[in-house]
Amino acid sequence: MGFRDMVNSVLGRSKVPEAKTDRLFAISTAVITLELDLNLKPSAVAGICFKAMDMSKYENARGEIEQLLQFSTKETGTDFTIEKDEYNFLWVILKDKDFEDLVTNIHMISQTLIEEGFGEQILCAVYRFESKGPVYWIYNFKQGSYYPFAPQGKSNRDNTLELRLKSLMEKELPIEKDVGKWYPLWSMPF
Amino acid sequence: MVEWKTDLGLEGRMLFTMFLLAAVYLGFLAFLTYMGTPAVFMLLFIALFMGAQYYYSDKLVLWTTGAQVVSETEEPKLHETITRLCVIAGLPKPTVAVVNTSVPNAFATGRGPKSAVVAVTTGLMNRLDQGELEAVLAHELSHVKNRDMAVLTIASFISTLAFYIVRYSFYFGGFGGGRRNNGGALIAIWIVSILVWIISFLLIRALSRYREFAADRGAALITGEPANLISALRKISGTMAKVPTEDLRKVEGMNAFFIIPAISGSMMNLLSTHPSMEKRIAALEKIQREIEL
Repeated sequence: MGFRDMVNSVLGRSKVPEAKTDRLFAISTAVITLELDLNLKPSAVAGICFKAMDMSKYENARGEIEQLLQFSTKETGTDFTIEKDEYNFLWVILKDKDFEDLVTNIHMISQTLIEEGFGEQILCAVYRFESKGPVYWIYNFKQGSYYPFAPQGKSNRDNTLELRLKSLMEKELPIEKDVGKWYPLWSMPF
Repeated sequence: MVEWKTDLGLEGRMLFTMFLLAAVYLGFLAFLTYMGTPAVFMLLFIALFMGAQYYYSDKLVLWTTGAQVVSETEEPKLHETITRLCVIAGLPKPTVAVVNTSVPNAFATGRGPKSAVVAVTTGLMNRLDQGELEAVLAHELSHVKNRDMAVLTIASFISTLAFYIVRYSFYFGGFGGGRRNNGGALIAIWIVSILVWIISFLLIRALSRYREFAADRGAALITGEPANLISALRKISGTMAKVPTEDLRKVEGMNAFFIIPAISGSMMNLLSTHPSMEKRIAALEKIQREIEL
């Protein structure tokens, strides 16, 4: 703990980390290795999750995202739906066979949220892949890194596969080094 | 979202409190040395006590409150909510515990973010909706993020030490004051210890009150919705008043940890660990305006 941290800790000044999008695009090149070498097929669906709020400013941001989506998805032919999960978090779910378009739209949404001042409320972006079961690559905006999530049933995860993916993809994807931060997302809506 | 505005008055008070606390402790140690308490004995006692407090403080808190650590399969919804809040706050996930009581309350403990424990009562989970529960959990996670628990533990350490010296001062007197006027030294140590204990007790109380404001602010920022914490605080404090105090006697010493103190009412402002509900709600309403306007 540095001196600043110590002062901040005495003063009780906590900061919520801002969302980072700089390493989000790494997956658009990694997808080739994932598909050809590791047999993880992109399932043409991705989502971004952020906290829904009862707030006028937030409603504006949400409206702007919807407008932008309607515009950009017309160009790329992406389908999108917006839904709330049981924890009152909002999911924008995108469907497109072109993986690049998914990444571009996810980036556009996160960028809009950040510009409107809601960067702190972004949870994560998720790309679904298929092998024997679903395998998700989750982008943690706060850490600026990816991690694999391979759920098995309702509350188990295939740690062996996840750790294998980590060691195989480490050079191509910015993977979260702290395994303790590989948070599962059990109630994924896709 | 607007930047978190720094509250200079609040920060000044916090720094002043910590400064006074440090001064009191140093003065106390100097006094003990002057009175001839053997240094080896003092060091050994402090080392043992600190070590024990450092390693067992969280377990002690869990034990005294009867909190049970719950797994993800036992409480999936609670775990998932905490997980999401931790991602947003950029915190490692704490151990999750549940206290089986109808009293609605929550607390966080541990010596740092990596060993933190967040506990909620079943009464809290039954009474609050998802948004309110989230707000309370975010308040507790803010305590973890702000490292109050570590500061409180350090701060309460010497006050506890002073308390024990007051209680067992006869043994101390027997050890140290042999060459001096035995009776006088004993009484002097006793009086100074009592003074140190009282002053540090008051300072800790003051400090922990202000830290509640900080944690409320953190909760508002993590969830983006101060209104949820306001309604949660209203609900909890409303039911707290109706719960008979007998059930709560055993948690009296734990008050500094809870989101709402278990014993309330006629206690003097100076002694209470938490700011009054009106003040907390007013502060949250101010944050709401900062965020929205």
